[in-house]
Amino acid sequence: MTPIRRLGGWAVRAGVIAAVLLVAEPPNRLTAQDSQFGITGLGTPGKWESVRARSAGGAFAPFDPFSPLTDAALADARRMSASIAGGTSWRSLDPTGGPRSALRATRFPALVIAGPITSRIVVGGGFTTYLDRTFGIRLRDTIDLRGVPQPIADDITSDGAVSDLRLGGAVRVQKRIALGLGFHLLTGSTKVVATRRFADSTYRTAADSDVVSYSGAGGSASLLVDLSRDLRVSGWWRTDSKLRADLGGRTITENDLPVSYGAGVIWRAGGQASIAGTVMWRNWATADPADSNAHDTFNWSVGAEIGSLGTPIRFGARGGQMPFGVGATPTEVGYSAGIGRQFSGGRGRLDIGLERLERKGTGMKEGVWTFLIGLTVRP
Amino acid sequence: MRRLRWSLLVLVIAACAEQSTSPGICPSFCPGGSISIKDTVFAAIVERDSSFRGYIQAYQAPLMIAADSPGVIDSRPFFTSQTMFTRIKRAVDTTTMPVSVDSLRLRLSLMKPSKQATNLRLRLFTLPVTVDSTADFASLDPFFTAAPVDSVNISGLQATPGSTDTLITRFWKGTTGICPACIDSVRVDTAGNVLLMQGDSSLLVYLKLDTLQAPLSQPDSGRLAFGIRVAADSFASVRLATVQTSAEAGAQLNWYFHYADSTATKPDSVSHNHQAVSTRFDSFVFNPPSPALDSNLTVGGVPSARSLLRVAMPAFLHDSIDIVRATLVLVPVSAVPGIPSDSIELEARNITADLGGKSTLGASFRTAFMHVGSTDTVRLEITPFVLAWSVDTTQVTAIMLRQLPEAATYTQARFYSSRASAFRPALHVTYVHRFQFGAR
Repeated sequence: MTPIRRLGGWAVRAGVIAAVLLVAEPPNRLTAQDSQFGITGLGTPGKWESVRARSAGGAFAPFDPFSPLTDAALADARRMSASIAGGTSWRSLDPTGGPRSALRATRFPALVIAGPITSRIVVGGGFTTYLDRTFGIRLRDTIDLRGVPQPIADDITSDGAVSDLRLGGAVRVQKRIALGLGFHLLTGSTKVVATRRFADSTYRTAADSDVVSYSGAGGSASLLVDLSRDLRVSGWWRTDSKLRADLGGRTITENDLPVSYGAGVIWRAGGQASIAGTVMWRNWATADPADSNAHDTFNWSVGAEIGSLGTPIRFGARGGQMPFGVGATPTEVGYSAGIGRQFSGGRGRLDIGLERLERKGTGMKEGVWTFLIGLTVRP
Repeated sequence: MRRLRWSLLVLVIAACAEQSTSPGICPSFCPGGSISIKDTVFAAIVERDSSFRGYIQAYQAPLMIAADSPGVIDSRPFFTSQTMFTRIKRAVDTTTMPVSVDSLRLRLSLMKPSKQATNLRLRLFTLPVTVDSTADFASLDPFFTAAPVDSVNISGLQATPGSTDTLITRFWKGTTGICPACIDSVRVDTAGNVLLMQGDSSLLVYLKLDTLQAPLSQPDSGRLAFGIRVAADSFASVRLATVQTSAEAGAQLNWYFHYADSTATKPDSVSHNHQAVSTRFDSFVFNPPSPALDSNLTVGGVPSARSLLRVAMPAFLHDSIDIVRATLVLVPVSAVPGIPSDSIELEARNITADLGGKSTLGASFRTAFMHVGSTDTVRLEITPFVLAWSVDTTQVTAIMLRQLPEAATYTQARFYSSRASAFRPALHVTYVHRFQFGAR
């Protein structure tokens, strides 16, 4: 028993410190899984899921108070709690006719803090990734300079994201119905750097950098209904203002953001198993008809959690589409699994998950392995 | 548990190494915008350029050149030595005894002699000890056309096998003022002249002189003056270090003498000793002299000439661009006359205050070489200057051209100035436009 108690004490302290630091200043690392398909668009949408939900394919997200997908789920946070998710991704790119390459990134895609203020009202907040805009490309070419063929290498990198800072609340209007409302502040920045290197050292490397800052706002509403003791359904809707991009204090673009809506269902098959499924739509193309590379998306997920509350095993699958890509709408299929472990008498929980995503689009295949780790504490 | 901790540590370290850059597949998987590069020759950007002469005199130069190419150039270095005592104090009291000179060694430092020179010889002429900075080619010509007091065949010495006699090599490597590790080999000819080949390809030549060739003159306080002429089958040119290079680098005379040391303990004995004396004054004269300044841009010659080029930076070079290369293009008026194996090092230096010929030189410089006899366009890479000018509008947008080292050689480069519209100096600039970052 002693080692578990020591681990719990350390984990609780570390979790609280990490939560405080992250809330004080959201870092750029607070981004989600990136994708090459987001480069030509606004970015790669984040996954608004805790490690627990993501390990089950995302299916538990509408019912998980620590997944920043719906506000109504906050109603289940009966004590002051905080949860943070982190993950390391190994991404392989397989462009059609191009060389394969491997990328690696570490991210902290979600943080949620929630707690009741009355017996029926729970408020929560935190942040997650709305759009990830971290990427880097290297272009090699030979240009004619001063009458001489000159090999060059251009690096164009973007590091940052549009973060979704959420303040939400859930009220249990009846014993079986919870209503959630949320206000979302979209904020963040990307540091963009363009560098040209010449093979001939007579030419100096040219580098240009700038910071693009983003701002916007949104609102969300969600409903959680217990149809029976074992069956619960959820529905949510979200809309956002235009996403404004500023460069040097000057607005350079304003992009419409999609309306999102979805529904989910969870069935508790006894005390040792839960099965859930969700569907979600986002009308990216409708929001920006001028962008031929933007597509409306439909995503689904199913997942299960088996075992005791203290040491559950989770697995799930997801599928759907990605919003940006040349030609046909890119698709995404994923499989995930994970485990959880409660400690300190249920005051802390450590979740570990592994996710495999396969994306396909015109001209590119992408495979991603992501190792996920999440910590939830109830001080 | 221990294994788990190590595994976690390895995982954390691996995870921290970010790699987010991949080969771009454009245009499908590339952001909008591209890096745009331009290459422009600014033909009329250099203006109000002019030349000035008189910065460094021949006797202030760190090198002096000996060259002889009939009808082209005849350059003759000369030097005077410091005084040499004629009496020496005895060890036991203050009484002095006269010294009797046995022989002398004259050391000359030859800097990077041409490898193309064949049968390269140095000839030594006696000059009056009164020679100074007022001496010119004509006034010294009678002394240089008299019979030489000595000569040495440098090519012959170089062709001589290096001495393997440890007594000889140890003696010369142990000579005062010599860096033993710098000596590559020791070569001795039949006349007793010695050549020390140094690691930096410079040569130390020791000429053996007797008292007839170099008498110890009491009225002259032991001072001597010698002139040097060079001869060769081809490429007769050699540069000698001067006392301005360093105190020990100039010509050096080593007097070997004896004197009667009739002390009580060693009655009627003879003591031997030697004394090294350094250069008092050195310079060189040449014919024909450096041409007078004209409307062209002149660099080099003696006294040294510099050219000031003012650059009128267009406004757009200050804004929204990143300069990746800037080259100053200079068109020679004519080929630089001289020994074809010689080359000229040109230096472009920024200036911190534009005061015309007295402009204050800055710390940044760039160099380029041009060859004697060549009329090729000279291109000086001055990227750091133009980059600094584009960023800091308070900087003086001008550069000073000069030869390195100044006044060390007769060579003088002349370039067309802004007065010659067809061949005026130009600035070739390659620049990158600011990247148009966007939200996508």
